[in-house]
Amino acid sequence: MSKTMSIVGNEYVMGFRRQVEWAGLIASAFFFGKVGAGLFMMSVYTQSRPGMLIGLAIVLGGKGGAHLLFLGRPGRFWRGMARPGSSWVSRGLWAMSFMTAFGGAALLLPAGSPLFQPLALVAAFFAFIVAVYDGFLLTSSNAIPVWNTSLMPVMCMFYAFLGGTTLTLFLSHFGVLQLPAGALLLPQLETVLLAVNLAIVFLYLITTVNSAGAGKRSFELLVKGPYAVPFFALAVGVGLVFTLVISISAGANATPGMVAVLTVADLIGHFFIFYLLLRVGVFKPVIGLLKI
Amino acid sequence: MHYGMVVDLKRCVGCQACTIACKSENGTPPGVMYTKVLDQVSGEYPNVRKQFVPVLCNHCVNAPCEKVCPTGATHKRADGLVLVDHDKCMGCRACYVACPYNNRIFLKRGKLKSGYHGKTMTPYEAVKYKEHQDGIVEKCIFCSHRVDAGLKPACVQTCPADARTFGDLDDPESQVSRLIRSRGGVQPLSEDSTEPSVYYLS
Repeated sequence: MSKTMSIVGNEYVMGFRRQVEWAGLIASAFFFGKVGAGLFMMSVYTQSRPGMLIGLAIVLGGKGGAHLLFLGRPGRFWRGMARPGSSWVSRGLWAMSFMTAFGGAALLLPAGSPLFQPLALVAAFFAFIVAVYDGFLLTSSNAIPVWNTSLMPVMCMFYAFLGGTTLTLFLSHFGVLQLPAGALLLPQLETVLLAVNLAIVFLYLITTVNSAGAGKRSFELLVKGPYAVPFFALAVGVGLVFTLVISISAGANATPGMVAVLTVADLIGHFFIFYLLLRVGVFKPVIGLLKI
Repeated sequence: MHYGMVVDLKRCVGCQACTIACKSENGTPPGVMYTKVLDQVSGEYPNVRKQFVPVLCNHCVNAPCEKVCPTGATHKRADGLVLVDHDKCMGCRACYVACPYNNRIFLKRGKLKSGYHGKTMTPYEAVKYKEHQDGIVEKCIFCSHRVDAGLKPACVQTCPADARTFGDLDDPESQVSRLIRSRGGVQPLSEDSTEPSVYYLS
């Protein structure tokens, strides 16, 4: 019976219902979380203090700010730390706190301190959790099949690595960061990450194309419905294909202008892929297999 | 003790009396309904029929909303009722996206500043809205205040067709247990392993 049901709004009729609560601000929080944590991890790898500081600021200001704006009762945000045993929201909040504490402590140390590297590595570990926990958060929702896929954390991880690499390249081209000699392979890493992300998005579409019920409705919204144009034009076209072409054609000799264009395009794609995946979340009809 | 509800779809006439009784009992603002009756048209012309499906929070045994709640605001009582502590909820809406039944409602900020007649609230609204908070998530509470007083939930009490039955699922001789046993009660979205405490008879 659910095959014939359509997507309905708040009408008093049975059907598929779209989730409407998690949208722009949550997508912004996911975006800033991944980009900031990615930059932080890359900066620990390249041993760049300014990069770590900027990454931390993006996570705290961007992700934290978006979350606070989203919460219905932002003054109670601290209560969100109460259930790390079962809630990914709680785990994310703890990870952000630890990342801030260890990262902040490392940055406060004087240059050359023997404690800097261990503290930075611990902070990078928590930055990794910040980058991927939203994937687990979405995956844990059985209610919305298009999110309930093990590819989600993988996608989050690679988008975080990509965002971090892109921002590192951007900041180094504009003199904010000084990269060590070993980091000269970053342009090649950027190309590889763009290709991997494109492959993951393609794989994600393949896994959802054959899904039934609510998953199929989500897929239709994404590739045929009102979100098809932003998905193919911005998330895939600008964010992955265009950037991949620039990355391959420019290689290691990219001018600052090209890097700036690549960075903007990558960030646009990064934001829109998760924004659109949130927007196309569809619940199953409430009766499930019940025959009436 | 494990409270549950049985909804007889053959008896439901779609009058929405339960919807109104719930709103009246809980004094919810416009657009907020803890329970409502959905229409389901099935079959093909000329053999078409219309069924009514009352929906509400299913007070699941394995409640996904409780697991994902980061604050512990959503909690389960020993008698099976899944409730939300209004003072603990921070409005993250993780429970909203986790509930497969889409039975959670987020009260936007300012939602309680106007009632059914605009900014001018009726005395009833002025009193009842104090029981709510905006910026948090609410849902059906199986009328816990009535149940604690030995009464049935308002929707059960009101249903003119006797389509809703409330009782102890742990008691094999309760009316709900007997109905589930004799008529083959089905849990909605049972494939999701949430073990709802609401059963449907079809």
